[in-house]
Amino acid sequence: MIPEPETSERGDDPSSAQRYLATVMAEIDDEVERRRASGDLPQRLEHELDELFLRFSPMASRFGGLEEALGSLEASAYIDPVVPVASSKSGGTFVKRSLRRASMWYVGWVTAQINQFTAAATRTLRVLDDRVRTLQRQLEAQQVPAAPVLEIAWAHGPGAWWVDPALRGLSSPGGRVLHAAAADGWLVHRLATKGVDAYGVEPRDGRIDLAEVEGLDLRQEPVFEHLRAVGTDSLAGLVLTGVVDVMTAGERSVLIELATRAVAPGGRLVVHSLSEAGWRSEDAPIEADAAAGRPLRSRTWAALLERDGFKVAVLEGPEGLDYLVVATAAEGGPEAVGVR
Amino acid sequence: MKVVFVTPRYDPAAIGGAESAARLLAEHLALEPGLEVCAYSTCALDHLNWENQLPAGTSTLNGVTVTRFEVAEPRRKAFFELDGRLRHAPRRASWEESERWLRLNGPDAPGLLEALRSGDADVAVFSPYLFLTTVAGIRAAPMPTVLHSAAHDEPPLYLGAIRDAFVRADALCYYTAAERRLVQRIHPVAEKPQVVLGVGLGEPVEGGRRGGEILGIGERPYLAFVARIDAHKGADMLDRYFRTYKQRHPGPLTLALVGPVSTEIEPHPDVVVTGTVDEPTKWDLLRDATAFVHPGALESFSLAIMEAWEQGVPVVVNALCEPTREHCAHSGGGLWFGSYREFEAVIDRLAGDEKLRKSLGANGRAYVQAHYQWSALVPRYVRFLGSVAERARGARR
Repeated sequence: MIPEPETSERGDDPSSAQRYLATVMAEIDDEVERRRASGDLPQRLEHELDELFLRFSPMASRFGGLEEALGSLEASAYIDPVVPVASSKSGGTFVKRSLRRASMWYVGWVTAQINQFTAAATRTLRVLDDRVRTLQRQLEAQQVPAAPVLEIAWAHGPGAWWVDPALRGLSSPGGRVLHAAAADGWLVHRLATKGVDAYGVEPRDGRIDLAEVEGLDLRQEPVFEHLRAVGTDSLAGLVLTGVVDVMTAGERSVLIELATRAVAPGGRLVVHSLSEAGWRSEDAPIEADAAAGRPLRSRTWAALLERDGFKVAVLEGPEGLDYLVVATAAEGGPEAVGVR
Repeated sequence: MKVVFVTPRYDPAAIGGAESAARLLAEHLALEPGLEVCAYSTCALDHLNWENQLPAGTSTLNGVTVTRFEVAEPRRKAFFELDGRLRHAPRRASWEESERWLRLNGPDAPGLLEALRSGDADVAVFSPYLFLTTVAGIRAAPMPTVLHSAAHDEPPLYLGAIRDAFVRADALCYYTAAERRLVQRIHPVAEKPQVVLGVGLGEPVEGGRRGGEILGIGERPYLAFVARIDAHKGADMLDRYFRTYKQRHPGPLTLALVGPVSTEIEPHPDVVVTGTVDEPTKWDLLRDATAFVHPGALESFSLAIMEAWEQGVPVVVNALCEPTREHCAHSGGGLWFGSYREFEAVIDRLAGDEKLRKSLGANGRAYVQAHYQWSALVPRYVRFLGSVAERARGARR
């Protein structure tokens, strides 16, 4: 049993309450496994009860998760040859029981074969599931971590050299302007002050509550997840800062594809990134070392975006530590300039 | 600023979480200076038949000017046939099928749509997403629209006509971040102005009676379920699970099913069905419960969970219901189950561990106090509505 913190501490400290809950749930999971291993619940009853649980489950659980799908299959895999005989009519139970007795040899023979088949099928799927899980575990060990958000005081704040040039030309007719990673909303606030309809997305914990209360439209969400959910051509501008610097080639490719889809024709994609020199500088955060990717040269960004139909301008930062890429989406989309 | 709320039903007697939440929000907004709040709704009280039960016309309810319009025709049997078919593969339903589903789902109140078209409100607020008043209303409204979707991960959410409503709405209001994730997973609306608000909690009004006395079980401990007693809310499952639990774990623990009854519950010595109760009785029942069980998998917020936590009672929720599970995980105020075995282990643990119950209850209460007080929610929402109206004015300029 876990040691219990004082009630007052838990109530005042959400993270302590969350840790406590996680430990209790882990203990409950262990207890469930112990009981399952003891075989104390008849299999048929357990399947029936689990099927009841899934009857009004969310759509994604019904069709999305392999574990849930297998659970649902297993719950319905057993065909019971023993037909219920209860009846509200007088003599009904007797008649049903007699019929059941008379047909049991036949029904039992057929259902035994079906049950053998379903048991083999579900077992096969379980074996497959196990193999997929093993593969997943092996992949996890080799998985490249997602690029973190980088934040350096001189590069990511209201005083940075690139802020004014980035804001120039950003306006909201034709859609909203999105800033990611938005941190506490400082750039969204600057845009709003200019009369631009802007909002921000910030993937890190604990960065946006205060700004949200102050009336800015800020959300804590992963940037990719957010971009996948915006409408096609719905953004007049997309400003990416601290996001692309240490992305892997795969992440960058997905990001460009999502940005190209989201930014409306004539809209702006603004990318701020550290340069290789900035990445190697003494004050670069430790994420720079730990990340799987490394910054691109500004002209590589230009080439990548031009390939996707953007008209690109590059501004190099002082001392060559960072740069700004300002790309304008072609009117009429990539097709209009013959790149798609 | 003039705000009009549009809901299929608008009355304290109408049982429906999203509509109740919209009504409570409207009533709290009506207390704010500089805001004129009205509501358009139908004369129906029962969403299963849409029969006109309330008089048409305008009246005032708790500071809100309410105008009710007659429903043109009650729900037809054809709805259930089409619904049953589309539920299996909603993504494959054609636009025409989804439009037909929506028309049959109703409620069809032509007067309401006409009033919206000629209305002078600065913003129109619609809830929940599922009904014709919302989808057709968003199409008809000349003013900026805010959709309080109250979305669950259920088949209709995937229909084309529903997607149209989400895409057409000018702004969105969610109960929880989990609801936002769900909607954004299905519809391309992430760029729209939005707010995650939730629902505020009023002060508990207790009746001063012991819960056991109300239930007629004396000092026996009990689990409380407070919602519509039907299969969609998980009441069938809870009843069955509890009976199995009692067979395997005899003892004094009782189950109290509190709410309007829409499904048959067989008599059982350890199950008490109260039917609908008044507010003080509900608060008394919650206060003395061993735990509050909310087994529904299709919830977008659950005010009942907040009420249980307000009374310092731990909750037990369905592991597949993302919003209620997220409430528990964030607050540390409740446990969840994803199978009968887990249900059994959770109830065993809660029933036998008073310290754990107190801890979870205290965590839940702190969570409600921090996040779901009207005094904090209303100013945020007023600012949000103001920004939606201002944005529309900017677009017109």
